[in-house]
Amino acid sequence: MVNQLVARDLSFEYPGPQRALDGVSLELARGELVSLVGPNGSGKSTLLRCLAGLAEPLAGTVELDGTPLSAWKPRERALRIAVVPQFLPSLYDVTVEDFVLGGRYARIDRWSGPRAEDRAALDKALVACDALECVGRAMSELSGGQRQRVVVARAVAQEAPVLLVDEPTTSLDPDHQVAVFELLARLACDGRIVLVVTHELNLAAQFSASMAVLSQGKLVARGPVDAIMRPEVLVPVYGERLHFGRLDDGRPFVVPRSTLLRRRS
Amino acid sequence: MKLDAKDLRAAALYALALAGLALASTNVGSSALKASELLQGLGAMFGLAEPLERNVQAIAELRLWRAICTIGVGAALALSGGLIQGMFRNALASPSLIGVTGGASLGAAFAILIVGGYAPRLVLENAAGFDAVLIPLFSFLGALGTTALVAMIASARGRTSVTTLLLVGIAVNMCVAGVFAAIQFLSLEDWEVSKAILAWTFGTLDDRKGLHCVTVLTALALSVAAIPFVARELDLLKAGEADAQALGVDVARTKRIALVAAALSASAAVAVAGQIGFVGLVVPHLVRLCGAGSYRKLLWHVVPAGALFLLGADLLQRLLLGEGALQPGVMMSLVGGPFFLFLLVRNRREVSTW
Repeated sequence: MVNQLVARDLSFEYPGPQRALDGVSLELARGELVSLVGPNGSGKSTLLRCLAGLAEPLAGTVELDGTPLSAWKPRERALRIAVVPQFLPSLYDVTVEDFVLGGRYARIDRWSGPRAEDRAALDKALVACDALECVGRAMSELSGGQRQRVVVARAVAQEAPVLLVDEPTTSLDPDHQVAVFELLARLACDGRIVLVVTHELNLAAQFSASMAVLSQGKLVARGPVDAIMRPEVLVPVYGERLHFGRLDDGRPFVVPRSTLLRRRS
Repeated sequence: MKLDAKDLRAAALYALALAGLALASTNVGSSALKASELLQGLGAMFGLAEPLERNVQAIAELRLWRAICTIGVGAALALSGGLIQGMFRNALASPSLIGVTGGASLGAAFAILIVGGYAPRLVLENAAGFDAVLIPLFSFLGALGTTALVAMIASARGRTSVTTLLLVGIAVNMCVAGVFAAIQFLSLEDWEVSKAILAWTFGTLDDRKGLHCVTVLTALALSVAAIPFVARELDLLKAGEADAQALGVDVARTKRIALVAAALSASAAVAVAGQIGFVGLVVPHLVRLCGAGSYRKLLWHVVPAGALFLLGADLLQRLLLGEGALQPGVMMSLVGGPFFLFLLVRNRREVSTW
């Protein structure tokens, strides 16, 4: 059981003038779904890679319950942190079972192969992610929605207490988008630390305990949904072309709106 | 990695097929040998049976060494190809990419220059004695050295990127080919030497001796021992290095082991048999076509499959062409190009630039 993933003063640089991350500090707690939002190129994916221990920050530390991630070997780290990547190749000769069992890599012994508990975790993950129908097929044969559920299932099978998810709803229809967020919220409720990088502000607002906003490599806001879904926070980051409103139940929403069209009407 | 009944059945089938083909292969030649004679000859080679009559024993030994060597070379080349394809995440990669073939040619050319006028006799007629060890030794060192150079330049900043490895491989191959061409040109006047260099590039399985077999089989054994340490890792690498890393794979270590194992087995194979291309490319494909798509299966299957492939191809052409049979390297290059094209066209959808 882990309680906190803490990043302090993270900086990261790619070749070029701009810093990918500039002094970012972020605390993530167990049981909470946190959404990380921000414009394209604001450093969201880089921050996720640093939090996952997959990229070494130029400065700053990432600690899981007080232990720096760099203290762990790859396998030890994978027992604690699971990542749902944004892009994967089509994987035409990988079956769904093999793919999801990949999540058990750090637990499967090199010489004895998958054990009963690994098979059980595989089945449990497929059920939890509503992906049983995909069994027996190659990854390349799945639809976008099925594929996304299988990729999340692999991370669930990993049984890591920290789950970092990179834009899980890209190319999914609205119904599947909601389904993915419902799943992530449930996983957080089970006692995991869950961070999801997303452009879907409204889904983030609906399902997250709190939100964090990244802009040009800096964390510009962090707080409960109501404090983030406001023009004062989002307009400086995303620009003027946003319309803010509230749903029947009082929850805030934001939709993109062209300023040209507004003038015409 | 755990063996089940299916694996054991496959292993038995492979062993049976290999024994059958090897026996058939040793029976092709100008003088016929009975199967019992071959077995007795084989036993005599290891001191387990009375030797046959001197001439017959000599013929039997020659053919048996050839068959054993063919098995080792085919298996080593195929395993190297499987490992390289896994590491490069590209089914069109082959051991020559990392400089094995070019380096071996250069090493062999140097050795031939050293032995000078004796070379043709060594390469073409008689592979016994210390001088004959020189050429395999140099080509082995040349192959390993070139691969090490490629790997070292490509991982200058502590990490080996696969794209960099590929580009450095191409560049180093070009440099090596340049030196090789210069040697060929400068030795043009010396008919014996240039003939030997040319002949080496055709590859040969004739007149192989115990030392050749031991060399290639030792390297093969070492590379096979690496399989359990990279097979699952190469499967996870299919989804990319970052993804495999997130799952807990030590990507740098996996690439290092795969590269060393691939270089070792391919270097030993080209050192004892000269340039025999194509086996490393095609055998993993044939195994994939038969349904072993995951590297956990593929890397085990390519070993016996590679042996069967080279043994079978060599037997077939000797049966069809008889005395006029081509050297295996020539035969493989003749069929290799067209097959590569066939693969490209077949996989057109996966080649993004097509």
